[in-house]
Amino acid sequence: MPHALSPETLLIPGGYMPEAKLLENLKYLFNPRTVAVIGASDNPNKLGAHVMKSLTQGGFEGRILPVNPSAKTIMGIEAMGSVVDSSIPIDLAVVVVPAQFVPAVFEQCVSKNVRGIVLITAGFKEIDDPQGAKLQEKVRRLATKAAIPVIGPNTFGMINLNRNLNASFTPQFSLLQKGKLTLVSQSGGMSHLLAFMAMKQEVGFSKVVGLGNRLNVDFPDMVSYLMEDPDTEVIMLYLEGLDQPRRLLEAASRGRGKKPIIAYKTGRAESGDRASLSHTGSLAGNHDIYRGGFRQAGILCLDSSEALLDTARAMLMCPPPKGRKVAILSGQAGPAMAAGDFCEANGLEIAAFDSGTQKVINELLPPLALRTNPVDLGPAWYDARAIAGIVGAVMEDKNVDAILLLMMFASANRGAIASVSDLALRWKQQKPLITCLAAPQGIWEKQVKELEQSGALTNLPTPERAAQALVNLWEYRKIMEK
Amino acid sequence: MGEKEKIIEQALSEGRNTLSEYESKRLLHAYDIPVTNEVLVRGYDDFKGAIQKVGFPLVIKACAPDLAHKTEQGLVRVDIRNEEEAQQAYEEIMLKVQGSGGGILVQEMVKGHRELMVGMTRDAQFGPCVMFGLGGIFTEILKDVVFRVAPIERKDALEMTREIKAHKILGEVRGMPPADIDELVRILINVGQMGLDHEPIKEVDINPLILSGSKPIAADALVVLAPPT
Repeated sequence: MPHALSPETLLIPGGYMPEAKLLENLKYLFNPRTVAVIGASDNPNKLGAHVMKSLTQGGFEGRILPVNPSAKTIMGIEAMGSVVDSSIPIDLAVVVVPAQFVPAVFEQCVSKNVRGIVLITAGFKEIDDPQGAKLQEKVRRLATKAAIPVIGPNTFGMINLNRNLNASFTPQFSLLQKGKLTLVSQSGGMSHLLAFMAMKQEVGFSKVVGLGNRLNVDFPDMVSYLMEDPDTEVIMLYLEGLDQPRRLLEAASRGRGKKPIIAYKTGRAESGDRASLSHTGSLAGNHDIYRGGFRQAGILCLDSSEALLDTARAMLMCPPPKGRKVAILSGQAGPAMAAGDFCEANGLEIAAFDSGTQKVINELLPPLALRTNPVDLGPAWYDARAIAGIVGAVMEDKNVDAILLLMMFASANRGAIASVSDLALRWKQQKPLITCLAAPQGIWEKQVKELEQSGALTNLPTPERAAQALVNLWEYRKIMEK
Repeated sequence: MGEKEKIIEQALSEGRNTLSEYESKRLLHAYDIPVTNEVLVRGYDDFKGAIQKVGFPLVIKACAPDLAHKTEQGLVRVDIRNEEEAQQAYEEIMLKVQGSGGGILVQEMVKGHRELMVGMTRDAQFGPCVMFGLGGIFTEILKDVVFRVAPIERKDALEMTREIKAHKILGEVRGMPPADIDELVRILINVGQMGLDHEPIKEVDINPLILSGSKPIAADALVVLAPPT
């Protein structure tokens, strides 16, 4: 029997807020004019100090209001005893007080009409003690009744780089560049990892959101919000398991085709019901069902954190390939073989060039090189005209749907980057172009970065990863076909 | 009450958590899924008539609810070519199932080298899900299966047939014609519909789904029920 419906839950279908109100308040949560830090501190042994650092050092331009009843100022900013003492409206409250004080803090936030909360505090549903789950339910009711969206509890927080808003306990998130990727994650660790990877690769982010225990903001709510968020172009999800996966499938289906959603789900070891009487039941691993369901809803499933970031970058830069035929242009034979093997093993075809293209290649390359696809451009690197001719012909070839351009630095080909730059800049991703231009530190880096920033190409560190990103673009294109 | 509901209700009213092979196939048939031509008999006189009706070569199986994995228990005789073999099989199997309230299933012998599997499982979180994969003895060894969440569309079903690792066996291989993909698609969609229509159905196994030439036919089937709580 379902539980008897209290008037409160009747107001909130399924225990969730009416979607319109939630989405509206999420806008304030991510774009606040005023942020209160409840539990702010100067003591570096307290999370409240790290959150204050994140906000102040991250360059947030709105008002920061430290809340702490036993301090006059925190980090040089005047503190107050409670949010209710504030003379101005508060859009976002970041809460870092111990779990037992959270209900009282939430009541104050409700009476102050706070628009959104990031609840960093741990000690709720994730702990063994059933009191944790009880406390979570109590604060969920408080927040949900007041239509306050809550990120967390048990989270590092969230970062909106386009607002210089670092509402997390890790000030270094602010080192991320601004960009169009948004990561929504069930894991703080994976969020930190992906952010560090992105910093090294100089990949920009719009938002990083740690959902934690998902009090009343879950993956489907975030997907609905981000579909309408002008700062987000690719939605990245890291997840382990959901209580209501069908809600996510529905939210993704509603936004189908608007923006790519890519997901990395772990927890594949969990297998089917071994006691099941049927084969189907015993084979039905949760992970396989997620994979199938995600595909139906237009979410591309990926298998590693590396693939998640690489694919997001490629999706931001490249149009989807129209077909599966790839041209591999390489400065050396080995990397071309590596990329070719990966492509062929994963559903792409090595294109057979049009006779016109082949004629151009035969004229410009000496017979000792690989002149069919993959093309070994090695002997041509000293001849800008030959490179332009060959790459240009391949780009225009109607039998080619996508291009992988691979070049490993050698002292003798150092200058070839100039020809590649000209071509890529002129080509501007009319068909997907992914490169692996690899060189020792300090060489080619500036040129490659400029090409990436101007939207000319996505450069990945190995031929296999370049090939994998292209495979994923093609997979996504297939998923989107109706 | 339609035929589908009747089959399920009867089993539930008897406190059972499975349908027999015969009942399972009647349910599949009601969902327009092709099943073997077969007759369920309780005595030897019926048996002789059934043999005439089905024709040699045929398969003789024990048939009772709660009788899964019949091959492992020695309750299946295949490729029976004459009355003598049939009588011997009948006697041996009858001896084993006596008193269980079951009967004997006389079934056409479907000829085909390609064995597939289609299934439905009611996942605690996703609800009814459809499975497609390699059937027969390879089911558990290779675990070459894919899932979708019901209801599925034609596009989803088509993808499933292409997504299994062994998808090439559905093509023209070793002189065998390509599988009737439209028919496979219809079976996958309908098995998902079974899960959506009937809450008490917990799982459906069609294994093997044999390709007879190009046509898929359910040669064995099991429906698992979960009585409403």
